[in-house]
Amino acid sequence: MAKILIPTPLRQFTAKRDSVNVPGATVGEVLAALTTEFPDLRKQIFNDEGKLRSFVNVYLNDEDIRYLGKDATPAADSDTVSLVPSIAGGAAN
Amino acid sequence: MIRIEPEPWAAMVAHARASYPNECCGAMLGAAEGDTKTVRQAIALENAFEGAQAARYELRPEDLLAADKAARERHMNLIGIYHSHPDCDAYFSATDLRNSCPWYSFVVLSIQKGEFHHANCFLPNVDQTEAPKEELIY
Repeated sequence: MAKILIPTPLRQFTAKRDSVNVPGATVGEVLAALTTEFPDLRKQIFNDEGKLRSFVNVYLNDEDIRYLGKDATPAADSDTVSLVPSIAGGAAN
Repeated sequence: MIRIEPEPWAAMVAHARASYPNECCGAMLGAAEGDTKTVRQAIALENAFEGAQAARYELRPEDLLAADKAARERHMNLIGIYHSHPDCDAYFSATDLRNSCPWYSFVVLSIQKGEFHHANCFLPNVDQTEAPKEELIY
């Protein structure tokens, strides 16, 4: 049961819990279990095609899973999964 | 509604002025009760945009992860992001919208000729197609 840290604004979809323990052998399975348990989270994390939204990065402990094994990255009970947004911008259009 | 307490507000304005004529960026920590948010601490983060920063900013996800950890350790929440617009108004640009995240409040500070001029806050939607204003008190 890996632990997923829930960003503050998403806790309205997880009964106000700031972290959730869900089963799964890989990060992909952990995220699937999370959105199965809390279906309202799905739209926030995944697009209509079931892919991670462009602004969502997933970290296993302190590592971006894009540089590990992506969805297939193994997740152990001692691991912590974080959802971290990509944010940029500026006055220029 | 988002209310920024005097200390973090002063830190945000100081950061924006010190970064002029470039854009600054940072994280806002505090408390959230439904739609009412209170910012109690501002964390200045590095503008990681590679290129001219007068009209662009970029946050490193690792820095945001660290800010979220800091918030949890201090029994606060990461509730928003701030950045500055040097020598232009505090609007939410197409670039801001395209690179936003709907989870957080986005405060934009207008810095005109090196001095704070005005600020606005925006709440982008999940599809990044619009960002209505959120009432901002500072």
